[in-house]
Amino acid sequence: MNIQQYIASGIIETYVLGLALPEEASQLERLLPFYPELQAAISDFGFQVELFAIQNEVPPPTGTFSRIQDRLRELPAVKNPVRPAGRASEDKKENEYVPVRESSTHIRVHKYWRVAFIVVFILSKLLLFGFIYFLLQYRHAERDLRALKLQEQTTNKANLSPDPQDGEK
Amino acid sequence: MEKTITKDILRDELFSGRGSAVEKLFHRYGGMLFSYIQQFAPSRTEAEDLLVNIFARLASRLETAFESNLSVYCWLQTEARKIILESRQQDPGLVFPKGSNSGESDRKVYYFSLLVDASPEHRHVFRELFVNGRQREDLAIEMNRDVTHVGDILRDCMVIIRKKLA
Repeated sequence: MNIQQYIASGIIETYVLGLALPEEASQLERLLPFYPELQAAISDFGFQVELFAIQNEVPPPTGTFSRIQDRLRELPAVKNPVRPAGRASEDKKENEYVPVRESSTHIRVHKYWRVAFIVVFILSKLLLFGFIYFLLQYRHAERDLRALKLQEQTTNKANLSPDPQDGEK
Repeated sequence: MEKTITKDILRDELFSGRGSAVEKLFHRYGGMLFSYIQQFAPSRTEAEDLLVNIFARLASRLETAFESNLSVYCWLQTEARKIILESRQQDPGLVFPKGSNSGESDRKVYYFSLLVDASPEHRHVFRELFVNGRQREDLAIEMNRDVTHVGDILRDCMVIIRKKLA
């Protein structure tokens, strides 16, 4: 099969837009594992479709998402997928309802930010204590220096001043 | 381009909760899908109803996106179209695009804006297959042509769309 001719025939676009007949779609899906260029063509056209959708984007009316949330609350229980490590809790959630988060002023960040925040917090505290310690050391040293200078001046004065008893003699 | 929701991102979001995944999809793709849906709906109000219906119905089967060969957005588009066509089969009076059944000229919306230079026959075939979800056989009978001809016209339309998008 000439794969480039097959791609150029329009089959990729028909498949991506959901217009391929079942037999056309299954033929393409059978060929996919053997021809990586087919998956690349699907990805390329998908990207163009998404770009076109962005260019034509129209914001939905306000309140649309609230209506979706209302509909989700009415839905029967749908289990959430569970991470492989968390299988223990899976059995407890047999009759779980679709959780819908209320819109709030909070933001969600990646969990690695918690570690980063703790490290930054500890470092900032260490720096603060270091700063206070060295400031106190500096003040002590300054005070000692001043005392020494004063002592030195007093000693010099005492050495230079003439003895009054010597003059009388 | 604003960040695309990949299948890995969707999977992670589903682990956080189904509602959270729907919210993320809506905030990223709601506007894009709303515009896409307007090809199938006569008014913004009906397009909004369809959008609500699509997200509500897809919420319980978001995992099927992982089995698809398409990107998350393309999967959403094709699923949205299926849901719209199903809704129309259940209630034929529910929605129909202007011009599709009334003889008016095609609205130059969305994919039709890429087919303005195509022949009226091409636009007719694309509209009937894509927007109205008709079978190629039915359309061939109506047009008094064979199915291969209809298939060829559809592929011509696809090639035109690909060239215009590129």
